Amino acid sequence: MTTPPPPPVRRGYAINQWKPNFDDFTRREHHVRALKVIAACGFRGVELRAGTGRWDPLGRPASIAANYGSTTAFIRLVRDLGIEAVSSWYFDPGEPIDEELSHGRSVLAPDDHKAIAETIRPFAEFLAAAGGSRLVVRALPAAWRTGALTAGQIAVAGAGWNTVGAAAAEFGIGVTLHADCLSAAADDKTLAALLDATDPALVGLTIDTAELTLAGLDPVATYQRHAERVDHLHLKDTRHVDDAGERLAPHAEAAMMSAGGAREIERWFFECGTPGGLVDFPGLFDRLGASGYAGWAVFESEQTPNPSSSVMLNAWYAQHVLGC
Amino acid sequence: MSPLRWSYMDHWRVDSPRGPVTQYSSPRRMDDFVKQISAVGFEGLDMFDFQIYGLTQMFGSIEKYQEFLRERGITKIVNLFRGIMYDPRRADPHVRETHDEIVESTRRMLRMWEGLQIESLIVMPAGLYIDAAPVTDDKIKAAAECWNRVGEMSAEFGVRTTCHHEFFCAIRTEDDIRKFYEWTDPRYVGFFCDTAQHCIAGIDPVALYEDLHDRCTGFHFKDTRQVDTTGAYANAPDAELMAPQTDRWFYEMGTDGGLVDFPRLMRAMRRHGFSGWVTVEHDKANIGGDYAESTALSMWYAKHVLSEIYA
Repeated sequence: MTTPPPPPVRRGYAINQWKPNFDDFTRREHHVRALKVIAACGFRGVELRAGTGRWDPLGRPASIAANYGSTTAFIRLVRDLGIEAVSSWYFDPGEPIDEELSHGRSVLAPDDHKAIAETIRPFAEFLAAAGGSRLVVRALPAAWRTGALTAGQIAVAGAGWNTVGAAAAEFGIGVTLHADCLSAAADDKTLAALLDATDPALVGLTIDTAELTLAGLDPVATYQRHAERVDHLHLKDTRHVDDAGERLAPHAEAAMMSAGGAREIERWFFECGTPGGLVDFPGLFDRLGASGYAGWAVFESEQTPNPSSSVMLNAWYAQHVLGC
Repeated sequence: MSPLRWSYMDHWRVDSPRGPVTQYSSPRRMDDFVKQISAVGFEGLDMFDFQIYGLTQMFGSIEKYQEFLRERGITKIVNLFRGIMYDPRRADPHVRETHDEIVESTRRMLRMWEGLQIESLIVMPAGLYIDAAPVTDDKIKAAAECWNRVGEMSAEFGVRTTCHHEFFCAIRTEDDIRKFYEWTDPRYVGFFCDTAQHCIAGIDPVALYEDLHDRCTGFHFKDTRQVDTTGAYANAPDAELMAPQTDRWFYEMGTDGGLVDFPRLMRAMRRHGFSGWVTVEHDKANIGGDYAESTALSMWYAKHVLSEIYA
């Protein structure tokens, strides 16, 4: 028996860790320093996170243009600093968008589908110009808000993502479903049903290793189950599982993710390979290699006390353990 | 094969739940530190002599620590910086009566740490300016005699002795530095070029390297935003951390407003065929900054700017 070669993934890094609060990471020199750190560590792509307002200058293409003169100027800067592409953009339709006077929309509401699809067009257009390929979307709202979903609701969500996927596809960009640990999609049955309700040609799946682990799912098994749909990776580690089901309790965003839940966990997410980490990254990469995965592997480290340190630790793990 | 390899001069510290700590505080922090410098492309490590004891306590032996480094991608400890506090009563290069102690204590140290297999022992060739002033030719000659003896002795261990001129060191001006190298034996005493220290002292480090390139054994590549315009080198009791002019002299390469012309230096190194280790340093980065970020930014500059010139 031979070990499969490492998958030909392209390493990217998510910029979200540099902005823990709404008024952090506003100045261009902050962005340049972060991008240099990412480039120095050998990451070839950067993933942005959608946001709103003047204090989120990388939150949407128009904000980038307002801060850098044009989106083209920003893309040129990224490349000049040694990063090949803006690989992807994370987008949660439930978050407010001041620029659109929207308090947030839901893929569970059929009337919102068209507006969500319109909203993402500039993002997809930007990604196409920036060498990116994936719009990473929050698959479903928080489970404590939705309660148990019916087959009909999942079908509505599936139709919604198909609509959004079709809009993104016009620019050659794929929509990929991301299940964070609070999302109703962080459930094996719901996730499988949602994937069944979407068009594989338009909608893929992101494996977020730590979010799934924290929610009690096995990311390696999830990958194996849906390998044909997986078109994006978020790699981070965790030392914890939500055994008590706090992710399903009201206001889990504040009570669990921010305050740490009953155990007062200071930090849910860690660099890959952290001591006590629960994610089987070598196991995942064996399977990625066996199935020929060739997409982006975006490393993340939100909740880190030191973003640069986390990038460097993740880079070492990628180089020396994962071989990518 | 590339003529240049990058080494990291360790001043590292990190914030912890109990305040700022160094990586010598625990094996886990050491693991994090080594992985981080390896991740950005360093292959070597420079360190202070006074840290060695802690390493033997942590790892059992210096050999085991070097194995720990190699497992994480750092191939060797390149240079050891002797962090000796000179005192004219006991050990001070311009005081001839103390030379035997300097030579013998260095011999004991090199014998004790023979397993390190370092390339160079870096020393400050004279005491603080404030302790040695007025600086006379005789004092410079005395220091030269001292390091000739140390260098001849260290060569027995396969280690070069090389001199690093802090801006507050007694041998700090262009004239005095040149005299020092005229009066030292090229076989035994090398020149170690710290770009920021010379810049702060008002010396063009590139011009100095051009003059002394045949004596140059290595570099501390770091930047500064200020020349000493206030006589800070003579500030008592300390110039490095206590001078009124600034609380932070040193920055990573490529810093905004940096005064060192690294591209010109790289062109000079290429012209003179320098090969070997280049050490990156940014001591006191924790003052308004962060070691991890400074380290990554330094290597971004090395890879994306300097390597385009000479690699």
